[in-house]
Amino acid sequence: MLKLENIDFSYAKQKILHEINFHLKNHEFIGIIGPNGSGKSTLLKNVSKLLDPDKGSIYLDRNLLNDYSYKELAKKMAVVPQDTKVNFNFTVYDLVMMGRNPYQDRWGRISQKDKEKVKEAMELTDTAKFKEKSIKNLSGGERQRVIIARAIVQEPELLLLDEPTASLDINYQRNIFDLISDLNEELEMAVLAVSHDLNLISQYCERLILLNKGKIHSIGEVEEVITKENISDVYNTQVDIKYNPITERPYVIIIPRQKNNQKIKEHDFKVHLICGGGTGKDIMNILNDLNIGVSTGVLNRGDSDWEEAKRLNYEVVEIPPFAPIDEYAMQENKEKMKDADLIIISDTPFGWGNLDNIKVLANFEDKDILFMMNNDIEKRDFTEGKFTELYKKIKENNNVNEIHSHKKLCNFINTKYEGIFYG
Amino acid sequence: MENKINYFYIILAIILLLFVVGILSLSFGSINLSPIRVLKILFFDQEVRQSLNVIIKQIRLPRVLLSFLVGAGLSIAGVVFQGVIRNPMVDPYIVGISAGAGTGVTIAIVLNLQISFLFFSTIPLMAFFGSLITVYIVYNLAKTKDKVPVVTFLLAGVAVGFVLNAIMSFFMVIGTRDLSKIVYWLLGSLSTASWHDIKLMLPYFIVGNFIIIFFLKDLNLILLGERDAQHLGVDVEKSKRFLIIGASLVTASVVSVSGSIGFIGLIVPHIARMLVGPDHKKLFPTAAILGGIFLIISDDLARILLAPMEIPVGIITALTGGPYFIYLLRKTKKEIW
Repeated sequence: MLKLENIDFSYAKQKILHEINFHLKNHEFIGIIGPNGSGKSTLLKNVSKLLDPDKGSIYLDRNLLNDYSYKELAKKMAVVPQDTKVNFNFTVYDLVMMGRNPYQDRWGRISQKDKEKVKEAMELTDTAKFKEKSIKNLSGGERQRVIIARAIVQEPELLLLDEPTASLDINYQRNIFDLISDLNEELEMAVLAVSHDLNLISQYCERLILLNKGKIHSIGEVEEVITKENISDVYNTQVDIKYNPITERPYVIIIPRQKNNQKIKEHDFKVHLICGGGTGKDIMNILNDLNIGVSTGVLNRGDSDWEEAKRLNYEVVEIPPFAPIDEYAMQENKEKMKDADLIIISDTPFGWGNLDNIKVLANFEDKDILFMMNNDIEKRDFTEGKFTELYKKIKENNNVNEIHSHKKLCNFINTKYEGIFYG
Repeated sequence: MENKINYFYIILAIILLLFVVGILSLSFGSINLSPIRVLKILFFDQEVRQSLNVIIKQIRLPRVLLSFLVGAGLSIAGVVFQGVIRNPMVDPYIVGISAGAGTGVTIAIVLNLQISFLFFSTIPLMAFFGSLITVYIVYNLAKTKDKVPVVTFLLAGVAVGFVLNAIMSFFMVIGTRDLSKIVYWLLGSLSTASWHDIKLMLPYFIVGNFIIIFFLKDLNLILLGERDAQHLGVDVEKSKRFLIIGASLVTASVVSVSGSIGFIGLIVPHIARMLVGPDHKKLFPTAAILGGIFLIISDDLARILLAPMEIPVGIITALTGGPYFIYLLRKTKKEIW
């Protein structure tokens, strides 16, 4: 139905879309999600011929989009825009009839077929009851249904929707998406819908495209796209994924920043974080929210914790991918620990490769140390007991605390280091 | 269905009104005749006194007809400009389009460019170019991204209008021998109306209206927003271009014979919209006829109020239109359409 090949688009030299490729099959329903400014709407405008891509080709039913006249295009593709405020006194009926424009001649004579199509569409969208009303006097949800009726009478094979429920209450959101879903299933229209509401669109579409900074970050079945990694990665926020028990579709829940959101007073309070394999990401984000300076190490380059630390501009003691910790890195790490007021050890497992991180800790007597303990210590030990032994030794010498969930981290820092925060 | 019947009665009523106003306007003047006598002269040639025949057919009839055409033309141009720019505060006079046409005419008179070829003469043509260039400049000055906000459009129109007035004054100073001709024309008057004027403007008037009617349907869709219109199959840029050319032609044809008569293109479309709604297929004929009636009456007042002296009709329309414009400005944008 619709195929995009290597689409690039820029506004005034600023690249908005980069190498977009995807294929929308006949009768398929694809949702496009992504943060603000990721290029969702721009992508849709390229598809609807409002904007011309700088590079690449868009095919609609094997023909180039540019080869369609506006009139021919309007018979194949209908667009439901985001903002559908109509300030003019057109009746609902007249407005829906305008959808027949591509089928009418210059003088806009209305045929019997036009009338039938309009009647059908108005019944389908349940808008027949206010057919004589002025479009101005409808509520947002009613107006959007009228606009969808107008799209239906175009008899399109492809329906494009740009945030169709952006300003509507949830009852209307459901109502509109149910309607779109019917059009997709019963009238076999292919649907390409942009939405910033991940959860809403995920309940309806077959496949999802996740855009980030003008590129396709991921594309595929809803379950493949709505993952904790993808969403945290693209939206830079902490989320969790649950499953809707009825649709069995994934939905995203936001984890609010912990209640104590005071900013730190002095910047010389520092934390050194020992982590790896993604176990440190959440901790970094919590510390970042608290505005606390963090160093971390030793980490292998390419490790997901390493990536996050780089993203947050933390000092990282790093070694090549998969390499064991060398003497030099260990020394550097020791310096960082010395500077830190608190050393946090994430829930990461320990093997021979990263055990040196812990060994160093034994040198710092009286240093504040915090172990994250979501898992049993034995389960994290891949050193035949060496790690457990070290852990016990550290616990004897130092000022060691343990907490069992990330949620408590914030509270812990707040109570223990009360003086470092404002107010 | 109800709407259609309503529309039918409205059109019927204003056509009747036009007829009555037309006959009455032919009756009054320096010599007053009864309407019945006027009808007899017009349709049955039953007048023995040759002088009355001349007064009605050679003096009053062209004047009433021209008033009608000018009023209709300005209203049509108003409807089109308001639709294309999606802004009910626009009228050829306010946004400087009349001034553009005027500058064209002034240049034509001063440089003595009065040539006639077939039915088309150069004065309306110069007016046409003048108005087209003005629309282009004003529109692009006012445009921000893909919107044309009311305020910037009005300001751009006023600013360009000032410049054009300066240019007109300049040419008037240069061409002092034609001064009276230009000043007279500038005041906006129909007192010299003759069959010759009608012949001069009619070809442009007809061509302009044909273009507009051809693209009239698109105007409804453009009103919804240019994006929506495109999605509904309208080649928006093309339609807009032709509609503006058509409206400029009509404005030019009218301005070249009557001078700049203001505010009709603002008021009449608004009244017509209140009567028949925003559908341009209904709005166009309604506004045209109403505009014609409006100017015929204004011109009657111009003739009668201080008779035997004549007030330039532009003064009458400005005196009624100005306050109306202020009233519209005070209302919120939403309620105007």
